[in-house]
Amino acid sequence: MIFLMPLILVTVMALVQDAPFRDYQDLKFQVLYVNNDKDSLGEVFEHSLREAKNLELVTNVNGLSITKEQASELVHSGKYKAAIILPQNASKTLNKKVKHSVAQLMANFGFGDEVKDTVDNREIAIELVFDPVTKVNFKLAISNAIEKIAANAQSKLIIENLKTQMAALGSEQKKQVIDFSNSLVVKETEQPSTAIATTNSVQHNVPAWTMFAMFLILFPLAGNFIKEREEGSMLRLRLISGSSFPVIAGKYLFYFMICLLQFALMMAIGIYLLPKLGLARLSLGTNYEGVVLTAMAVGIAATAYGLLVAVFFKTHHQALAFGSVSVVLLAALGGVWVPTYVMPPTLQAISHFSPMSWGLEACNDLFLRNANTAAILPNIFRLVGFGTVLLVLSFMIYRSRETKG
Amino acid sequence: MSVAIALNQVVKTYAGAKQPAVQGLSLQVNEGEIYGLLGPNGAGKSTSVMMICGLTPYSSGEINVLGFDAKSKSATIRSLIGVAPQEIALFPTLTAAENLTYFGNMYGLRGKKLRETIAHYVEAFGLTSKLNEQVASFSGGMKRRLNLIAALLHEPKLLIIDEPTAGVDVHSRNLIIDILKGLNHKGMTILYSSHLMEEAEKLCTRFGIIDEGKLIAEGTREELLQQNTNCKDIEELFLHLTGKSMRD
Repeated sequence: MIFLMPLILVTVMALVQDAPFRDYQDLKFQVLYVNNDKDSLGEVFEHSLREAKNLELVTNVNGLSITKEQASELVHSGKYKAAIILPQNASKTLNKKVKHSVAQLMANFGFGDEVKDTVDNREIAIELVFDPVTKVNFKLAISNAIEKIAANAQSKLIIENLKTQMAALGSEQKKQVIDFSNSLVVKETEQPSTAIATTNSVQHNVPAWTMFAMFLILFPLAGNFIKEREEGSMLRLRLISGSSFPVIAGKYLFYFMICLLQFALMMAIGIYLLPKLGLARLSLGTNYEGVVLTAMAVGIAATAYGLLVAVFFKTHHQALAFGSVSVVLLAALGGVWVPTYVMPPTLQAISHFSPMSWGLEACNDLFLRNANTAAILPNIFRLVGFGTVLLVLSFMIYRSRETKG
Repeated sequence: MSVAIALNQVVKTYAGAKQPAVQGLSLQVNEGEIYGLLGPNGAGKSTSVMMICGLTPYSSGEINVLGFDAKSKSATIRSLIGVAPQEIALFPTLTAAENLTYFGNMYGLRGKKLRETIAHYVEAFGLTSKLNEQVASFSGGMKRRLNLIAALLHEPKLLIIDEPTAGVDVHSRNLIIDILKGLNHKGMTILYSSHLMEEAEKLCTRFGIIDEGKLIAEGTREELLQQNTNCKDIEELFLHLTGKSMRD
């Protein structure tokens, strides 16, 4: 069970968290589009939205075009995640506003006559309707996309109007109009050459739940220890002079080996099983020596923690209650459930004290940043130091109980 | 005659207890004898045994075992004595052979010597055919006998046994008593703690009766009965000294 349950856990968690870890570009959402404008702006929007890789535009339901009311109802019932509604006469109103503003601008610079007539200054509202359960990130992504399309359309229209009105003034001025449509663009910088993988559900979940699974060694270790104490075999060992060290060392080594086996199995799941379930393949980086070192350091810390709980608590109930809560807490703080960088600052500061966080950081350094061994040494030292302190403490408690009964 | 165990004004008070479990206990076990430490439930027998073995610290007084101070030399004492505690101190999921090999190894015994010792004792205690069976499947008597073998593997000078026949049938009990007598004939000193008077009378050469943590009588059977002429055996003497009220 100690091997099987974590393997199932990591598989399920990697599958469940696959979507939240993917970029929105990788996912496709069905979005209703109600074009009440039926003019150039509506066409620009439809064209741009259809080009967005993450949106699948729905303009008809059951072969019929949809109204604003129907779209709202469909979204609120949860059948669609969002609806984009363009108002009537949006193109005409926008054109008028832009034409008027450009003419006024030109007049201000001394080109053309002063504009005397007024224009309707009310804003043209593009409505976005979201399903109440929609995540904020998704809402933001859609809003940003719409705002970008609107801004582009507006800029294009202004430039076109400028061109047209300047063209009417003569060829000299026309030349002065500069096309700056591609002057300012956003570009993601290439990853450094050392980086070998990007984070995804597998790259996060496999090492994270491996840390958790290795610390679960606490349960069989404490269970076995307390069982032996209750059954009486531990009393026999206490009666044998000099048995403390071999007993503690024997148990420690055995469970340490189980921890290493656990690590190897979890990694194998990430490499061989998860890709077969449609997920990404786990990348271990290229520093295998570092991976072995990390596995050993986490094993040392996890086994020592289990041993301390085993020798400190006298009953199964005490050990299991403390053990389960503490392992879950260490996992939560260590970034097993959610990465530490999305935690509030206070929790981020506390997370640096979780040995699971040290192990996970070392894994991320190796798997994602392709770090060399020197880079992971601080976390390795923390894990080994933590394990050594706990091991010494366990031995002292065991010896003290041995003579105090 | 040398002294194997000497307790001098030993007091043990457990944390939170209103009164001491052992209060000013003084007794002496000579080398080569089978000393019966008798007392009703809660008299302080098991606490005394645990203090002699160095597993429970005493609050005050002195305990000397085989010439070593029990407080400062408990590890040395534990290497020289064999203890069969009241509870079955074995791994139930292992076989008898695995248990004995493991405990033998922990005593520092290895190879042929260990195999021969195990074979000798399992033969003597009638467990040869059960050697490769799991201890969990053993009867109460078989577990008691194996528990005793585990205490004898390293051939201790002093054997301390606490209720060695609790819950065993008459056949197992007689076998255990005969073997203990045989070991004593070969020179092993035995401290036998029990509340079974008839069994103690068959086995022990000297007795110490304790009640409420104090020694209330000590001597051979004859000495004790001479001091209490109205008692015809140790059981009557025990009831006479400790009273007939129930002890829990």
